[in-house]
Amino acid sequence: MRNKKKLNIVLAGQANVGKSVIFNHLTGLHQHIGNWAGKTVEKAEGTLFYKGYSIDVLDLPGIYSLTTYSLEELISREYIAVQKPDFVINVVSATNLERNLLFTLQLLELERPIVIALNMFDLIKHKGIEIDFQKLEELLNVPIVPTIGAQRKGLTKVLDSGIKLIRNSASKHKSLLKYGKEVEERIEVLIKDLANIKTLYPKRWLAIKLLEKDKAIEMLINNTGVLSKTKKLINELEKIHGHDSSIVIAQERCFLSSQILQKVMKITKPKKITLSEKWGNVTSHKFWGYLIMVTILLLMFLSVFQFGDWFSSMLEKIGSGFHTKWDAVFGVSVLASLAWSAIEGVIALIEIALPYIIPFYLILFLLEDWGYLARVAFLTDSFMHRMGVHGKACIPLILGFGCNVPACLSCRIMETERERFLTGFLTTLVPCAAVTVIIMGLVGKFVGIGWALGLYLFAIIVIFILGKIASKILPGEPTELIMEMPEYKQPNLKTVILQTWFRLKKFICIATPVVVISGVIIEAVRLLNGLPFIANLLSPITVNWLGLPSITGILLILGILRKELILVMLATLMGTTNFIEVMTPVQMITLALVSMFYIPCVATIAALWKEFGWKKTLIISLFEITFAIVIAGIISKILTILWI
Amino acid sequence: MEKELLLTDLEPNQKGEIVSVLGGAMATKRLADLGLSSGTKIKIIKKAPFSGPIKIEFYESRLVLGRGLASKILVKIIQNEE
Repeated sequence: MRNKKKLNIVLAGQANVGKSVIFNHLTGLHQHIGNWAGKTVEKAEGTLFYKGYSIDVLDLPGIYSLTTYSLEELISREYIAVQKPDFVINVVSATNLERNLLFTLQLLELERPIVIALNMFDLIKHKGIEIDFQKLEELLNVPIVPTIGAQRKGLTKVLDSGIKLIRNSASKHKSLLKYGKEVEERIEVLIKDLANIKTLYPKRWLAIKLLEKDKAIEMLINNTGVLSKTKKLINELEKIHGHDSSIVIAQERCFLSSQILQKVMKITKPKKITLSEKWGNVTSHKFWGYLIMVTILLLMFLSVFQFGDWFSSMLEKIGSGFHTKWDAVFGVSVLASLAWSAIEGVIALIEIALPYIIPFYLILFLLEDWGYLARVAFLTDSFMHRMGVHGKACIPLILGFGCNVPACLSCRIMETERERFLTGFLTTLVPCAAVTVIIMGLVGKFVGIGWALGLYLFAIIVIFILGKIASKILPGEPTELIMEMPEYKQPNLKTVILQTWFRLKKFICIATPVVVISGVIIEAVRLLNGLPFIANLLSPITVNWLGLPSITGILLILGILRKELILVMLATLMGTTNFIEVMTPVQMITLALVSMFYIPCVATIAALWKEFGWKKTLIISLFEITFAIVIAGIISKILTILWI
Repeated sequence: MEKELLLTDLEPNQKGEIVSVLGGAMATKRLADLGLSSGTKIKIIKKAPFSGPIKIEFYESRLVLGRGLASKILVKIIQNEE
């Protein structure tokens, strides 16, 4: 008997089985969202204290299978096989048993102790489904606990079963399940051949993966004898079945899971169309669906910007009072100014984060938890495909309108590195809340709201065209959308708030140091009277090519810090907020255009760096600077001719 | 006797049985992992407008597939019993 007081467990399951709800209930605020070392895949960990045990819980990403299709899948299987958690909680949706079983079967092959949480057990009644879970327990040879994650039901029982498993020193799971004879025979042969190879993975699992032509495992084994034997066995299998061997095994799994299902599941009454299904039909309708989508998104933007505007102006008042007090206490000296610029950076972050990002996140996660975002992806997929990404990419892009930083971070929902990078690049072109301040405050106010909206339209067209071009240039195939369409459900407020909180924490961690440091540097340059010098240096671009006043050089440098500074400093340097006195409409439109595209702000650069590495960040930044200058110059020249 | 068509040619509420998947090994494997391989019976729930994705039902569960992927699936129509 093992008497360990510290346990390591993982939650594994497909997407949309209620895994994160269970994770949140188990760990509450004792959780930490980080990254897998060197990977852009999120790693959610938490700790829980239960019956004298300190249990570290790891929430693996929601995945469909344990093949090497996506980073998430690779990471998950490696973790389970190599790190050998004490036990695995496999969260399975009772409403989706057959497909979930396909994943469970693969999980069992990794031979760790497993408890199955048969989640959403309350929902199958409405669907007229009966599941004999005791029978299922017998067939799979794993403890199964029916749970209702949203109501916390069954969760302690899951933990109890897991702890019991360890106590009974069931360090390995013994599967009773067998594939078809032809496949099993070949697995046996390979297991014998693998006997002398040292590896952390279970031998049977390796054999299966080799027969499935798993590239990562072939590399791991790297033994010509075994690999050529594998090839021979694969050829035999393919001859018998007339399919690719990987398909043969996938079909074996399908067959096994449908056999199991036949024994444990009964459909007792025909399905009735529920209210949530009716609503689901309306929201993916070819006319009403789009109307509802536009309405919901507009409402979201309007309410976030209304609230943000009100709240940030209130915060600004508090902030400016702070500055006078600071000057009164420390006097006006170089050191005090530098220190103040550091503090100002923090205040600025608070002024953006609290009023804009928090409400944006809250609404977005609410929509996600409710099940709506999947509909948006469904409706926009064909449009997104034209710019080389699929429907899920619209979520980072929408986020980008609030702030590019979380938008970049959310690109992780895309499956492959290529898609992540492409989406990340496109989100940095989306006009964020700060750019909206410039567009509205400059163009909207002084040139006309039509021109302001025109700029937005222009941004969308640019994103579209650049996306199309980038997807052609980037190597690799575009991935197709495969997505679960969750049924609408009541959003879980706790999940929404926790999600918001953890994302916000991350935003602050990434953005604060960059904003503070670059703020201090720019303040130092200002104190050394370097700003006019820079303005002069940039004047061939700003004055000659773009036709802007030379002080805009200073603005564009400051704007890297926070884009709305462009407008704020314009007022300070020009000594007026009535910009029409000092700038022509064409100049205003040009300045807004440059601000929109010329470079991601420092916080976004930091986020890009974190997600994609410095090389790609540099490429994006340099490209956008060139692009913005070229396009704004051309447009400025065209407009000057047209305006007269 | 039974005509074979692409999954994308079926209309909502029509049912089909997968005959084969035409794509490369990657797409085929991906679909098989989801439970979509020859013999699986599929019902079309909805087709998104503008050649968007297709929502299908199989094994009591629903999934959305991109149109490109769906157009690689060859099916034969199952006539409704009712």
